Amino acid sequence: MPDSEAAVRKRIRGLLAQLYGGDSFVETVSDGISLRQAGVSSHALVALLVAMEDEFGFEWDDDVRPEALRSIESLAGHVLSLQE
Amino acid sequence: MSGYANLARLDLAYREDRRIRVRDGVELYYETRGEGTPITLLNAFFLPSPSWRVFTEELAGSYRVVGYDLCNHGKSSHVGPEPTWEEHAADLIALLDGLEIESTHLIAASTSTILARDVALRHPDRVRGVVLAGPVFGPRGMRRQRQVQRAWLRTLESHGIAGLYEHMYPEVFSAEMNEAIGTPGFLGFREAFSALSTVDDLVNGLNRAMEDVGDPAVLAGVERPALVVVGDDDFLMGPTAARELAALFPHGRAEIMPKAGHVPFVDDAEGFQAIVRKFFEEVDARA
Repeated sequence: MPDSEAAVRKRIRGLLAQLYGGDSFVETVSDGISLRQAGVSSHALVALLVAMEDEFGFEWDDDVRPEALRSIESLAGHVLSLQE
Repeated sequence: MSGYANLARLDLAYREDRRIRVRDGVELYYETRGEGTPITLLNAFFLPSPSWRVFTEELAGSYRVVGYDLCNHGKSSHVGPEPTWEEHAADLIALLDGLEIESTHLIAASTSTILARDVALRHPDRVRGVVLAGPVFGPRGMRRQRQVQRAWLRTLESHGIAGLYEHMYPEVFSAEMNEAIGTPGFLGFREAFSALSTVDDLVNGLNRAMEDVGDPAVLAGVERPALVVVGDDDFLMGPTAARELAALFPHGRAEIMPKAGHVPFVDDAEGFQAIVRKFFEEVDARA
């Protein structure tokens, strides 16, 4: 059964919390806000993408559109689209 | 630490807000690190000043490293038409005046090697040694570079910055780096690249870069020592051409970095800095 969107977002938040060593930063990042504008560095984004591959069992493709990487919401949407 | 580990620490944030007025209506953003003989970093149009930090950390331990954004790029003033190379050169001299720097080493990469060459030609008294990493002018001219930049410009105009990134990435960066950082790296740094510049800045910069003719004959007039640093996986210039180019300078030599791409310090920052340090020490010892 596919994960719910809320569950996927929560798991992505968990990965971000691991990268930042706790929840304090992640709690300031709403699901829809641009990760870049929220202060997520390019290094952290790359690390998050790698962690998502392990967490959700897929590999990123080079042709993923930039919009898919913008926010927790869009990242979750990408994961769910792969599960359909 | 490998260059790719440095890449993972890339921090493109503007931490300071230091500016110097260089002419009417133009202030240049700059940042300085370290103390000692000055080294000034010249930005390619795609790489604003913060992008240099992680690749010049060792140099900043024993030199005064100055980074700045060109007029019309990054956090510096935007004033309508893209400045000419002559204006960019005059801006740099005014920046050095403002920082009370009598003379400086220069490190340039890709398109900014044009600026380094011109400053060394026009203002030899202000320049110590010149490092040209991934030069865009070859020993027989720069037709190839202009063709590449025209293609990039077409892609930028039709597919935006993300499309340009996808066009440039496999050309500019080495096969080694591409394999090492994989798709997450490719996608993650696309986000960073997209935040670095506006479409207008890049269009203006590419158009300006294409205007230089890259006449090899002018290199005979560069009095200051010049070091050409090229990765052997540079899509624009191979090792043989790099050595031929260096030989056109009265005091030039070439260093080839194995498996590195067009911006060789991205592949091996420590190796690049060791090469540069050795060159600068030789130049300063002869001064």
